[in-house]
Amino acid sequence: MTNHTPGRNCLIVAVLLLAALFGACKPSGEESSSHPPVVVFKHSKLFGDPRPLAQLLAEFERANPGVRVRAETLPAASDAQHQYYATNLAAGAADFDVFALDVIWVAEFARAGWLRDLSHLLPAAEREAFFRGPIEAVTWEGRAFALPWFMDAGVLYYRKDLLDKNHLAPPRTWDELLHAARTVTRTESGVHGFVWQGKQYEGLVCNALEYLWSHGGEVLRNGQVVLDSAANRAALTFMRELLTSGVTPEFVTTLTEEPAREIFGRGAALFLRNWPYAWRLFEQQGSAVRGKVGVSALPHFIGGKSAATLGGWQLGVNRHSRNPQAAERLAQYLTSPAAQKVLALAYGYNPPRRALYEDPELLAAQPFFAELRAVYERARPRPVTPQYVRLSQVLQAEFSGAVAGLKSPSQALIDAQRQAEAILR
Amino acid sequence: MKLVRGMGLILVAVWSLAPFAWLLITSVKPTPELTQLPPLLPSAATGAHYLAVFTGHPFLRIIANSAVVAAASTLLALAIGATAAFALARLRVRHAPLILVAVLAVSMFPPIATVSPLFLAINAVGLRDTLMALIVTYTTFALPLAIWLLTNFFRQVPVEIYLAARVDGCSAFQAFTRVILPLSAPGLIAAALLVFIFCWNEFLYALSFTSSPAARTIPVGIALFPGLHVVPWGEIAAASIVVTLPLVVLAFAFQRRIIEGLTAGAVKG
Amino acid sequence: MTREHPGLFLAPAAVTLGAVALFPALAVLWLSLEERSPLLAAARFVGFDNYTRLIADARFWNALANTVYFSAVSVALEVLLGLLVALLLARAFRGRALLYSIILLPWAIPTVVSARLWEWLYNADYGVLNYLLGTHVNWLGSPGWALHAAILMDVWKATPFVALLLIAGLQTIPRELYQAAALDGAGAWTTFRRITLPLLVPLLLVVLVFRTIDAFRVFDAIYVLTGGGPANSTETVSIYAYKVLFQALEFGYGSAVAVSVLAVVALLTAVYARLLRGSMT
Repeated sequence: MTNHTPGRNCLIVAVLLLAALFGACKPSGEESSSHPPVVVFKHSKLFGDPRPLAQLLAEFERANPGVRVRAETLPAASDAQHQYYATNLAAGAADFDVFALDVIWVAEFARAGWLRDLSHLLPAAEREAFFRGPIEAVTWEGRAFALPWFMDAGVLYYRKDLLDKNHLAPPRTWDELLHAARTVTRTESGVHGFVWQGKQYEGLVCNALEYLWSHGGEVLRNGQVVLDSAANRAALTFMRELLTSGVTPEFVTTLTEEPAREIFGRGAALFLRNWPYAWRLFEQQGSAVRGKVGVSALPHFIGGKSAATLGGWQLGVNRHSRNPQAAERLAQYLTSPAAQKVLALAYGYNPPRRALYEDPELLAAQPFFAELRAVYERARPRPVTPQYVRLSQVLQAEFSGAVAGLKSPSQALIDAQRQAEAILR
Repeated sequence: MKLVRGMGLILVAVWSLAPFAWLLITSVKPTPELTQLPPLLPSAATGAHYLAVFTGHPFLRIIANSAVVAAASTLLALAIGATAAFALARLRVRHAPLILVAVLAVSMFPPIATVSPLFLAINAVGLRDTLMALIVTYTTFALPLAIWLLTNFFRQVPVEIYLAARVDGCSAFQAFTRVILPLSAPGLIAAALLVFIFCWNEFLYALSFTSSPAARTIPVGIALFPGLHVVPWGEIAAASIVVTLPLVVLAFAFQRRIIEGLTAGAVKG
Repeated sequence: MTREHPGLFLAPAAVTLGAVALFPALAVLWLSLEERSPLLAAARFVGFDNYTRLIADARFWNALANTVYFSAVSVALEVLLGLLVALLLARAFRGRALLYSIILLPWAIPTVVSARLWEWLYNADYGVLNYLLGTHVNWLGSPGWALHAAILMDVWKATPFVALLLIAGLQTIPRELYQAAALDGAGAWTTFRRITLPLLVPLLLVVLVFRTIDAFRVFDAIYVLTGGGPANSTETVSIYAYKVLFQALEFGYGSAVAVSVLAVVALLTAVYARLLRGSMT
């Protein structure tokens, strides 16, 4: 290269060109966020009519003159949302104020310093109003960093008609489930015994923990990894047996929530483990299993207690929010009994507040709410640790290895124990 | 022998097309029939999935994003690439072969190795979750392909033509824009097609740099399609057909140019 | 004549490649020596700690083995089948242009779309593949099958590409050689072994390495088809690096994992460049 100045001119032209393009391509909707009175609320898309939520937000604006709310939705995949929030918050983003967090993120985000401490919004009396699980999930080192918005827990769906036909009661233990599935599939062709979520992903951890816990097993106890235990071995061995016995089809290792729900929903399975959302879809017009579905707490091992993995979403306030007071008020408002009731009626989102499970209007709309209450009382959060994502990646792979028969359950637990210790050390 | 050859050819065509045929069938199957086999064919074709794709999702926005990103990156990569390729093909550049090899090496960079520093840099300059982040990245990683292809095509224009233009008083730049470029139009088209396809299809950078629907491109949109409460196979199929169509049109309209470009890009110096 | 200023012509490309390609490639090496995560207040220089961790990381070696297996098997199949297809298509026939367009399609569509498509074909419960074959194979859900299912998809997608490159090579073989062979009474097989294959070897090698580089970077297909499961049996190095980088947000260690891909690809690229130069002269 012989001549330097023209080269620099070229660079300037290139930069200007890029800058011009940048102006043209900036996504709309980001410019107005600097106006102080706008509170931006990020959440995943609600399935159903958007109006009830819009009305809630309008009501909040009326009650808080001078504050405007803008709601923005994110893709439904939890992983994609995690990446969005983590990368934006790490970069110090202030263009959203209130946002919905999956239960498993609170500790991580709190530890990273991305969330406002909301302990003052959850005094002792208020904490009592919620189920224990969600309160545990929003607490990190004794402080509350989010407010429970709606909750989920694993439940068992069963085909009432098929059980009745064979004079069977809904199973209370895993052995009873095994027995019922064997009995029914012997005579019903084209019906799988039991489907659940066995793909290598977060859902598998939710499923597996329910077996571990219902055998008295644990992942962490007082901060120590206790994966490699006799109880966990027996529980994981049982999961593998579900496949080898033919009660659960081999391809359960590809199933996430929806494919599993779809199989049960077209009448091709006796039992299904899923979240409460599936109920409404089974009971809707045109469903092949309408009126034939029962819901109960998940079975347990003999000597253990039924356990359900806690899911659901919490509302947190961005530490860099420019309107923290208004943001806190919005989070508080959306988690109030009145707002949670609206969400439950309009979208079937289950409130984390105990009192709503005695609300006559809600009970009439969601007849299985009474059943759910018992499950929610016991719903347990996954291990609350800022390293949850890494821990989960290990559990996903090792549980998957045991379920798919790639390694023995005891080997999988030994391997998981070693890796989990390294992560949490 | 002839029969064997004919059957072989049919087999090749069927092997390439059969999955697409299934995609097309799936996209017009009514939802209850999607999870039933037999029958292979739908009882009646439905347009419901196509309708749902365009009404229930920000799909048009996503397609527009891809179009903007791919078009802008193609233009930039071609403009910058052609300028460099001209120098490498016709001007006295020291170590031109070495430069070409270095450029080639860049085209081989595994995206996973550059994604983390680029991501941090994009965050630092405030381009996170913008189309601009993708345009800059795609322009850069399409540049090696453009430079290689165009160097090759420019060299096919006889050097005498260039020298004649220079003797007639054109500056090097004028000779480039007024003589070499018009004569290399087919090569430019070939390069543009390949660069466009690369940008239209790129996934890892798009997945890592963007997160909101406002900046999402087609591959990410298709990959993240499942909603919380539905895996709409019919809609995924319909969406896949829609985003594949432009490429089908390109493949049929510009088949010769694309193959020319492919061959030149991978195996020629 | 006025001066040419070649530097001026090269500057925009040099600046772009330097800033957006070369800088990150060097920066990733630096990042891989740091402990850096949003969970930590600040990045910390840790020397080669990430690499000692990498060497002891069984999951990394599993991912590397998967990647090598995926690349070796899929590229071998693609070159073999591609050669077969090229020989079929090399001679002119009616409708050849149409067939060219058809075999371009699998290559041209986004990998994400083809992965979605194959995920649907592979569905164990109601997928068309099991239906047509009359089998009940758990394509994507069993550790024995999943990686092979991904390989089959890659073969479908990349074989046409290989075939098209080889056709170009076949067409450069002088006709006279074949005519002479025919005069000598050589059969089809002898002609192929004595003339076509030897003349095609340099090109075959180039294509082989080019495809291997591409296959070794595999990400999109696996991300959509299986996400790395079951039991990490389809987790490639790129997938692993992505999970460490963007899910666990460990930018230091994730960069070290990514550098391993960079190292292997750099080695292959050196081989490729040498082969290219060989085939040009």
